[in-house]
Amino acid sequence: MTSENIESIVNRRYEHGFVTDIETESLPPGLDEGVVRAISARKNEPEFMLEWRLQAYRQWLEMAEPEWAHLHYPPVKFNEISYYAAPKSDADRPKSLDEVDPKLLETYDKLGIPLHERARLAGVAVDAVFDSVSVATTFKDKLSEAGVIFCSFSEAVREHPELVKKYLGSVVPRRDNFYAALNSAVFSDGSFVYIPKGVRCPMELSTYFRINAANTGQFERTLIIADEGSHVSYLEGCTAPMRDENQLHAAVVELVALEGAEIKYSTVQNWYPGDENGVGGIYNFVTKRGDCRGANSKISWTQVETGSAITWKYPSCLLRGENSVGEFYSVAVANNMQQADTGTKMIHIGANTSSTIVSKGISAGKAQNAYRGLVKVMPQAHGARNHTQCDSLLIGKECGAHTFPYMEIKNPSARIEHEATTSKISADQLFYCRQRGISEEDAVNMIVNGFCKEVFKELPMEFAVEAQALLNVSLEGAVG
Amino acid sequence: MKQVALSIDDLREAVLRMPDDALMATREAALANLDEHGLPSVRDEDWKYTDLGPAIDISNRWLANGATITTTSNDLLADAIAAIAGAIDANWLIIANGVIDTSRFDESSGIEVQRFSESAAPFVMDRPLADLNAALLNDGLRVQIHAATEKPLGILIIDETNAGAAVSQANVEIEIAPGCDAEVIEYQSSTGTGDHFGNSVITLQIGQAAIASYVRIQNRRIGHVQSGRLCATPGRDARLNMASYDLGGGLVRNDVDIDLGEPGADVVFNGLYLAGDGQHIDNHTRVDHRVGPASSSQEYRGILNGRCRCVWNGKAIVHAGADGTDANQANHNLLLSEHAEIDAKPELEIYADDVKCSHGTTVGQLDETALFYLRTRGLDKRQATQLLTHAFAADLVGRAPVAAAIDEITSLVESRLADLIQEEA
Amino acid sequence: MLEINNLKSRVGDSDILRGLSLSVNAGEVHAIMGPNGSGKSTLAQVIAGHEDYVVTGGDVQYQGKDLLDLKPEERAREGIFLGFQYPVEIPGVNNAYLLKAAVNAKRKHQGLGEVDAFEFLKLAREKMAALGMDPKFLNRGVNEGFSGGEKKRNEILQMAMLEPSLAILDETDSGLDIDALKAVAQGVNTLRGPDRAIILITHYQRLLDYIEPDFVHVLSEGRIIRSGDKTLALELEEKGYEWVREAASA
Repeated sequence: MTSENIESIVNRRYEHGFVTDIETESLPPGLDEGVVRAISARKNEPEFMLEWRLQAYRQWLEMAEPEWAHLHYPPVKFNEISYYAAPKSDADRPKSLDEVDPKLLETYDKLGIPLHERARLAGVAVDAVFDSVSVATTFKDKLSEAGVIFCSFSEAVREHPELVKKYLGSVVPRRDNFYAALNSAVFSDGSFVYIPKGVRCPMELSTYFRINAANTGQFERTLIIADEGSHVSYLEGCTAPMRDENQLHAAVVELVALEGAEIKYSTVQNWYPGDENGVGGIYNFVTKRGDCRGANSKISWTQVETGSAITWKYPSCLLRGENSVGEFYSVAVANNMQQADTGTKMIHIGANTSSTIVSKGISAGKAQNAYRGLVKVMPQAHGARNHTQCDSLLIGKECGAHTFPYMEIKNPSARIEHEATTSKISADQLFYCRQRGISEEDAVNMIVNGFCKEVFKELPMEFAVEAQALLNVSLEGAVG
Repeated sequence: MKQVALSIDDLREAVLRMPDDALMATREAALANLDEHGLPSVRDEDWKYTDLGPAIDISNRWLANGATITTTSNDLLADAIAAIAGAIDANWLIIANGVIDTSRFDESSGIEVQRFSESAAPFVMDRPLADLNAALLNDGLRVQIHAATEKPLGILIIDETNAGAAVSQANVEIEIAPGCDAEVIEYQSSTGTGDHFGNSVITLQIGQAAIASYVRIQNRRIGHVQSGRLCATPGRDARLNMASYDLGGGLVRNDVDIDLGEPGADVVFNGLYLAGDGQHIDNHTRVDHRVGPASSSQEYRGILNGRCRCVWNGKAIVHAGADGTDANQANHNLLLSEHAEIDAKPELEIYADDVKCSHGTTVGQLDETALFYLRTRGLDKRQATQLLTHAFAADLVGRAPVAAAIDEITSLVESRLADLIQEEA
Repeated sequence: MLEINNLKSRVGDSDILRGLSLSVNAGEVHAIMGPNGSGKSTLAQVIAGHEDYVVTGGDVQYQGKDLLDLKPEERAREGIFLGFQYPVEIPGVNNAYLLKAAVNAKRKHQGLGEVDAFEFLKLAREKMAALGMDPKFLNRGVNEGFSGGEKKRNEILQMAMLEPSLAILDETDSGLDIDALKAVAQGVNTLRGPDRAIILITHYQRLLDYIEPDFVHVLSEGRIIRSGDKTLALELEEKGYEWVREAASA
């Protein structure tokens, strides 16, 4: 991708007058039916979509915030949040990189992000919440040749209502949980992917999510459908600017894999974690679930979670189809005052289903990092297999590492194995590396990356590099 | 689904009818706690898999019926006691239908025994079931072991009833003197055709550098309800070696709480649960590592056949500053029936960094290759299954730390396994 | 090259080195022998800069610099190599990756450019062949699941790649079979040269059959109680450490 390309795409967007429209319609903080109607109207949604949102809103009103996670934070004031993410006007935005927070630029530098990308990420040139959706449009020809639909969720609602009607909410029902219901009522936009029968998506699809405005919740919705025998790899990256106040992010991701289909979903989550004292940062309350609906289907989640003040996230697999496979590979880093409660659910429903869970948690500073996972084998799931490996690495004396695995097994032919370990970087390992001439910081990075290796190898190449660099930045100052 | 609530009014009446002795203040305090908090429901994380409904139902029926001691056959009770005392050579303290019986206790053994009613010191109440225990307790035992004894101390908690519904409480505090090497057997048993709920609380205080060997056998009548709590506090450099065997009971909930507040303690505890039709056996363990260095290691194994459910929840909490902690948990289950369910939950909460913690859990079935091998050697499927299941259980039987109890455990485990695996598995 | 003067060191509450002096010149091979607990490994760890070993007295000059002022990684980059008695396992960290990072850290310190991957691999494979190591080892985690002998060969490989000025081998011979011992000895002998010095810490004469030392020192209770040439090692083998101790106290 050349910088000219990006510029041309950026310009095209502005041509469509996207920004001007929104400026006049941005919504004040607070949530009621009127807000839900306004969001739907603003997006020119068909009636079915509005009805769906309104039902979700009414259900949400009756639900309570979950309290079971190993997390502590002040209650979210849902009426002080603005539920429509109006992009900032040109006047508010930094005019050049000179006006961007130098700390943020420093981070980009360490990540090795190219200059033009930095501008994009820092919000200098582009105001979009979903930059990559538009970036991907450059490949639209190539994708449509293969029959692949990759567009924004809003566009899908308008252009492919039959697919949206059929699959939306079929994996994560509106009232699945408090945040999923909220998302269902007010979701702003997101990605939509459909891979037709027998098609191997010719390229990796990616989306970069970004939270822009202050006091704004972000509620994106992603729906990926892999039809029979198809294959897709989807990448999701997240960043947010630094702000003093906490911001809410409550996304829903639904994946559907039909017979013989395979979906690989990779996330590098780097929402703003707040500062060293825990001021600011994103509350990341996300519902991600994949449904292996057809026989021989496979869904694989890989996540590298380094950001957010609070992470509450359990990418899960419903293994319905016979012989279907679910995988979860996770690296979760919590430093300073971060809190993470993350893991997965593998629900074995079909016969001969198998799942693999590899979770690597790293705690540093005063952070609390919890793995929470459920492996459930239903009575009819003959021959179910699960292997779980759950390791924690502690850096420093004030952090916490917790493991809460649940195993509920109702079929006698199941084979379930769960292992967990907790350790710290040993003084011997550090000294050994230093005796070979490697600095303490490099040695820590090397050991931490080694600890995460099983997960990194599941990431697409360029993401793996970014993930490693991100890990090093996240743990900066954690040792010594 | 709303759980039936405990009838607090009937409970209050029952408490007020009890003798006005030294325990009365504690009973009333416990009653007030229960009135405020009630008993836990499946909405409580610690009770997610176990519904106390049957225990509450039995309690309410018994309370409504006058809450009296319900021995219906003294002969039956005496026979049952004699059988157990004959099988295990120990110095027995007996609590039968909630009533203390010291007739089989040898006072010259050097073990000192007092009743709660004779001494004013209040006993521990920190959980709803312990409150229920305190509210309805006739009397408790305070036992001090000053030196090693020839025979192990036996605590026999036994119930007999043919009445419609009966409830009994047992509470024993055991104190092991510093440097002392002590053996204790806790045996819970019940008989009779009535519905029964037995609720016990045992505390074990282990002195500095003392060694406690503790065996727990639960062989209640299938269908009877039991809640059993054991709280152990090992002192500096103390050792606790414990093994627990659950063979009977209907709804059974065991809580083992170990509080490591002194450095140098070393705790090993193991458990075996064998469950068949109509059984629900829940083992919850919790180890609080408050200081280091200290080590705790547990292994629980379960064999499930028929329509039953077992729960194992092992929790290790390493508090801030408990450096040098070594905590291990293991849980292995054999599921032999379509209708059996196991819910396993090993939990680690760690707030210190110089620690070594691990857990391992498996759920599986017998090795098909081994089964086939045995059948080619002429064993039928049932025999082969029994042989392999025995082997799985035998390892834990062998770890019983009190020699006097091993024969009885072996014979109970063998006969229970024979019952469980009667037909083609 | 290395001047140790009246060095005293303690670990935790116990004094281990109690006034040790030793002078090592370029081109020399020194063997340090002594019974368990005499302070041999402590000496190696103190020279390498392990923070658990507190220096309570004396000084150490290395190539004219105050060695005790330097961090462990700086000492390594200045050419000090310690072959560990018990090389630690670092799961997931690729052996080749560590080795390349180490080589480049040293090159950078010397103001040289980084070695490229191709050159590095070529060199590593050559050195491994000479040590009789399977090239597969490069792609495994550092010492992860290595046998005792493999770990020691790996130490020698790292030494060969890093080309140190001063190599200290802490009981590199312990637990080795005869083939591994020969391979290790060959690795060390290849490194021998007029610009380098080697300190061998060992219990047994056996290693010295293959690497001939210029000097042999006997360490006891944190001090060198006797020095001599290679014949001292033979004499020790025959008469035991008690003999030296008695001779020293007489």
